[in-house]
Amino acid sequence: MLSRAARPALRASAAIKPATAVAPNAATYATLREIEGRLKSIRNIEKITKTMKIVASTKLTRAQRAMNESRVYGQTSDQVFKEAETKPTEGEGKKQLLVVCSSDKGLCGGIHSGLSRYVRRQFAEGNQSYDLVILGEKCKAQLGRSNGKDIALSFAGVGKDVPTFADASAIADQITLLPGEYSSIKILYNKFINAQSYEPTVVEAFSEEAIANSPNFSSFEVDESLLGNLREYALANSLYWALAEGHACEQSARRNAMDNASKNAGDMINKFQILFNRTRQAVITGELVEIITGAAASEE
Amino acid sequence: MAFAWKTAGLTYNRYLAVASRVVRRSLKEDKRLAAERRGEMDLRFAKWENGKQGENKPLASANEQAMADAASGSQQS
Repeated sequence: MLSRAARPALRASAAIKPATAVAPNAATYATLREIEGRLKSIRNIEKITKTMKIVASTKLTRAQRAMNESRVYGQTSDQVFKEAETKPTEGEGKKQLLVVCSSDKGLCGGIHSGLSRYVRRQFAEGNQSYDLVILGEKCKAQLGRSNGKDIALSFAGVGKDVPTFADASAIADQITLLPGEYSSIKILYNKFINAQSYEPTVVEAFSEEAIANSPNFSSFEVDESLLGNLREYALANSLYWALAEGHACEQSARRNAMDNASKNAGDMINKFQILFNRTRQAVITGELVEIITGAAASEE
Repeated sequence: MAFAWKTAGLTYNRYLAVASRVVRRSLKEDKRLAAERRGEMDLRFAKWENGKQGENKPLASANEQAMADAASGSQQS
C-alpha cells in the first residue's frame, strides 16, 4: 500500500474506476484466451515467413545464375584495364563518385545497412570527398538521413526482378550525364562469398583520363576518340555486375533471414503451447478444487 | 566524331540498347518473348539538391530527353 500512497494520481484513478478488479477466476480464463490468440498469430507469421523463404530460395537460384553470367561481363571488362595497367588518377581536390547498389526491398537482414555503414565509414575517414549515387530505396532512406547533402542521384525500382543490362546501361548513361568532373567512379556492392556471407566491396570504374594515361594502353591500338565510349561501356558492365551480384546477395540474405524468422516462430510456438497447456491445467485444477470444497461444505 | 549516332547525341550505351532492341525484335516469336524480357527497364530516378530529393521521374524518358538536348546542342555548336 505504501507505493500507492506515494502516488496520489494513481489512487485517484483507482477511485474513479473501482470495477477494474474482476474475479481472479475470470482473469485466468482471459489469459488462456489471450495465449490462444497469440499462438494463432505466431502460427500465421510462421506460415508467412516460411512462404517467403521458399519464394526467396527459388529466386535465389535464378539470381545466382544471373550473377554468374554477369560476372563474365565485369571480369572481361576488368581484364582490359588489367592488361593496360590502368591506375586510378590521383586527382587532388577532385571529388569521387560513389555508386551504392542496394535495392528497394527490405526483410533481408543487414545487407543494406552494411552498405550504408561502409559509406559512412568512408566519409568518416574523410580526406576524400564523395558524391553519392544511390540505387534502391533502402540505402536512400538510410543515407538520406545522414548524408543527404552529398547525394547527387537516386534510382528507384531496383531489385524487383533480376537486373538486366538495360537497367545498368540506363543508369550508366544518367551517371555520365552528371555535371562535374570526378577523378574516379567507385561502385559499392555486396560481394557474394557464399550463401551465408557477403561483404561490401568496391569496384573501380576509371575516368577517361585514367584510361588514356595507363602505361600499356597503346598496345590495344585504339583510337583516342573512342575512349569515351569505352568508359561508358565499362561503367555499364561494372554496374551490371554489381547489380546482379548485389541481387543474389539480397536473395540469399532474405532466405537466411526468413529461415531464422521461421525458426524463432517455431520456438515461440513451442513455448506458448507449453504455457497454454499449463494454464489450462491450472484452471481445471482450480475448478475441481472449488467444486470439491463446495460439495464438502454443503454435505455438512 | 565519325559516328552518326554520336553526332545525333546518343551515348554508346544508348546506341547499344537501340541495336540490341532491333536484334531482339527480329528474332523468332518464342525466342523474342524471352529475349525482350531481358531488355525491359522500369526504373525511376530523382536528382538531389542540397539534401533534398527532387521529383521522381521515369528514367527512360529522362534519358531520351537528355539525348535530345545533347543532339540539339551539338548541332548548334
